[in-house]
Amino acid sequence: MVTRSQVYGGRFYRALKIRKNLSRWIAYFILTLGGGVVVYPFFYMVMNSFKPGPEILHAPMKLPSRWVVTGYIAVWRELQVPLLFRNSLILAVSITLLNLFFDSLAAYALSKLRFPGRDTLFNLMLATLMIPGVLFLIPTYVIMYRLGWVGHFRSLIIPASISVYNIFLMKQFMQRIPDELIDAARIDGCGELGVYFRIVLPLSRPVLTTVAILTFMGSWNDFFGPLLYLMEDPSKWTVQLGLQYFNTSIPGENAEQIWAATTAITVPLVLLYFLLQDQFMKAFAGMRLK
Amino acid sequence: MTKSSLWKAINKYKWGYLFISPWILLFGAFGLYPLLLSFYLTFFTYNFIEPQAQRFVGLGNWIHGFLDPLFWRSVFNICYNQAIFIGLTFCISLGVALLLKQVGAGGRLYRTVYFVPTVCSVVVVMTVGGYLSSPEGPIQAYLLNLGLLKEPIHWKFDKWLSMPVLAVINSWKWFGIQTVIFLAGLISIDPTLYEAAAIDGANAWDKFWHITIPQLNPQIVFILVMNGIYGLQMFTEVYMNFDLYGGIYHQALTPVLYLYAVAFDQSNMGYASTLGLMLAGLIFILTMLQFRFIQREID
Repeated sequence: MVTRSQVYGGRFYRALKIRKNLSRWIAYFILTLGGGVVVYPFFYMVMNSFKPGPEILHAPMKLPSRWVVTGYIAVWRELQVPLLFRNSLILAVSITLLNLFFDSLAAYALSKLRFPGRDTLFNLMLATLMIPGVLFLIPTYVIMYRLGWVGHFRSLIIPASISVYNIFLMKQFMQRIPDELIDAARIDGCGELGVYFRIVLPLSRPVLTTVAILTFMGSWNDFFGPLLYLMEDPSKWTVQLGLQYFNTSIPGENAEQIWAATTAITVPLVLLYFLLQDQFMKAFAGMRLK
Repeated sequence: MTKSSLWKAINKYKWGYLFISPWILLFGAFGLYPLLLSFYLTFFTYNFIEPQAQRFVGLGNWIHGFLDPLFWRSVFNICYNQAIFIGLTFCISLGVALLLKQVGAGGRLYRTVYFVPTVCSVVVVMTVGGYLSSPEGPIQAYLLNLGLLKEPIHWKFDKWLSMPVLAVINSWKWFGIQTVIFLAGLISIDPTLYEAAAIDGANAWDKFWHITIPQLNPQIVFILVMNGIYGLQMFTEVYMNFDLYGGIYHQALTPVLYLYAVAFDQSNMGYASTLGLMLAGLIFILTMLQFRFIQREID
């Protein structure tokens, strides 16, 4: 076999290799610079959250002269922090669990069961994806108001408990489960629910993880929904609404609280992301293309 | 069909219908019904404080909407913002994806780090980004020190700078996800295409234009359509940094912010509903145009 270096001649190949290495180093250099641009705001945020108040304004770029937690104490005192986290968790966990159940049931029916009108129904679902969410904003609020649901978690949980996009993701995945497996389970005496719980759900773990991450993050980070339905009652606030409480139009006001609060909200999420980074990336970017 | 065979058919298909029924119920209650209600509301003035004062106004809301300078101002603002955001994010994320492809497995850590802003909430990003870019923040201080800036810029009170600065902050937040999408596309390009082009004497630029870009078509389409649908509905970013009417010049008024102001500041649900339909119509037209354009590109 003729190797590349024999074709090009040793010297030329070496020159090519050096050039390739050089361009690699330039790439690393630019990427590191970019990494700095991404990381710096987080560094700035954490650093300022441990600074004494006046220093945030007068020496914003310096490291703290003393590391203090007065910002965190102030946030703790002004807001019911455990309550905010509890509310955010109630919303995110219940929306995620309901989605995992309802979406996967629907996806199972659409991918593995036969019934008249199935494909029409699926096409109708896909068509609803094209409707921009803004259209539902006002009429849904009017409906919630008339039902007396404004100010209750159910106004956010119930409409969000099923999602066509998630059904679509799950259907794509479940189609690859072999029919023979399901038929075998039926012959062994499994009913449809048995097949769903014993065969389909355990085999769909990867797509369930994806949907869980997307749904949980969407709910945890949502601001508009809680603003519309829960703003009036501080005992129903989520962490995102809590942070907004410190944002005023006066620059520098509440600086201590703002940095402490942003850090407290961000750190758990970023830790979770680092623990599950592959699943996160697949959920946000990979699955959407398949 | 006899009664017993009908019963048999129902029994045969019941699981399918049962499993799909949660979606049908919820879509009826929170999809179809609001859709119809929103058309109905456009013909009335309606508010919560005195629901009995509901008044039929015919096409009044629609005429008002088509002639409302604030609505069209908000449409212009969001297009201005999105043009910058989409262009900037596209260049950055494609460039970073190309670099990541070049370094191969060594890029894993970078990819992980670039993705962090994507998982943060808009509220956090806007708080941090707004502070960093403010006249008191470090970015302007550096630029002043370097002499690149003569005086601090109060971008939140500037007629033309508010939207570009928001676009840059949003690029910072979202370029990570687009990078990962582009990288997935780049890796799946068949390397023999490049080898064949190299034999034909193509340089790096030719390869980029004639192989990389056409091969990335699915990713580009996906990103453009998603940006079109979500970007045009921007709300939290402007709500957090400006008043309900987008600042003194309305320079940061977006359609959804305006709709929110009409609904909850002026408590005019009928008109807000009309604005929602108008914006949805615009987004729909835009998406269709994108598909048309893309279809032609493929043909």
